[in-house]
Amino acid sequence: MKEEKRIREAAWGQNGNLEPLFELEDTGDAFLVTFDLPRVKKENVEINVTEDTVEIIAKMSEAVCWERWGSIQKRMTFQSFRKQIRLPEPINPKDASASFKHGILRLVMPKIRKKVFIPIE
Amino acid sequence: MEEGAVTVVEEGGIVHKNPIVIEGLPDVGLVGTIAASYVIEKMGYTKIGYVESDLFPPVMVIHEGKLGSPFSIYGNGNVVVVLSEIAIPPNAVYPLTRALADWFNSINAKLVISVTGLPVQNRIDIEKPEVFAVGNSDAAMKKLKVMHVELLEEGFIAGAYAIMLNECKKRDLNAISLLAQCFPVYPDPGAAASAIEALDKFIPLDIDVSKLMEREEEIKLKARDLMRETALSAPEMQKGVEQDMPIMYR
Repeated sequence: MKEEKRIREAAWGQNGNLEPLFELEDTGDAFLVTFDLPRVKKENVEINVTEDTVEIIAKMSEAVCWERWGSIQKRMTFQSFRKQIRLPEPINPKDASASFKHGILRLVMPKIRKKVFIPIE
Repeated sequence: MEEGAVTVVEEGGIVHKNPIVIEGLPDVGLVGTIAASYVIEKMGYTKIGYVESDLFPPVMVIHEGKLGSPFSIYGNGNVVVVLSEIAIPPNAVYPLTRALADWFNSINAKLVISVTGLPVQNRIDIEKPEVFAVGNSDAAMKKLKVMHVELLEEGFIAGAYAIMLNECKKRDLNAISLLAQCFPVYPDPGAAASAIEALDKFIPLDIDVSKLMEREEEIKLKARDLMRETALSAPEMQKGVEQDMPIMYR
């Protein structure tokens, strides 16, 4: 998995998952990640955070079905969003927080800071 | 067609009666694209032409089995709506805006309105996005003041709508941009609804935007790919400069 900073390619998988639009912002002390999750209710969002990754799996309340989509793939159905992001710097998963409003999931993940005091001679 | 040229092709021989032009090109929040699509659908405007160029990606669109250009023009004689279903490549912005401004001039457009978004950090906390405006002439500014649309007083604007304002100015065409507060990289039907309500001050459309909001999630899902493509070209479009302060700030 490559490090990702914004929106990249890939939109859907063959496993019924759509890749959500997302935005990753470095706010200095933390990473702020938002995901656009239409047709998703708060209780159907699963978030897994490690020191350097964040993964979300979000089940839609109603599946998306696209028909007449290309000459070979006539019908595709998607039931959930799924995305894993590798973070550019380690974070403290225990201090991460999440909120969900108007279909937007917002995660704030404080960075691990190893401060060293340097005296001035 | 000459290499690098942008051509407006008219179909059906519609007679233009000093139309007002609505321009909905993909930009932040896809505000213009969503608003223009909804206006076309609700007003029942028919396709009257398209725009072609070898600067655009080699893409055609199929709707209900029919092949068409993803860059279409709709209207009814009094109103013209320009709509793109593909992201505009940054190198096409200048030739495109020049070609469109020439065409708007040739059909004696009385006003060109670009509908777009104004990205805001706290969009998630805004229930009803506000709409701001920019005019390209004293007459256009006066019109905005009469209609009580709040003006953007200082700052940079970037993208096709910014250049369109200037190309229209060069041709003595009155042009304004309506900018609704929006999410930068997520399709924003709420912002499009606010923009349509602001449009109604200039064209009596009388469109009920509640239906647009009912379809918000469906629109967001359908617009994902265009939003992704548009966001990818944003850095090259210098969209970041819109957050900067001009040195001549007073």
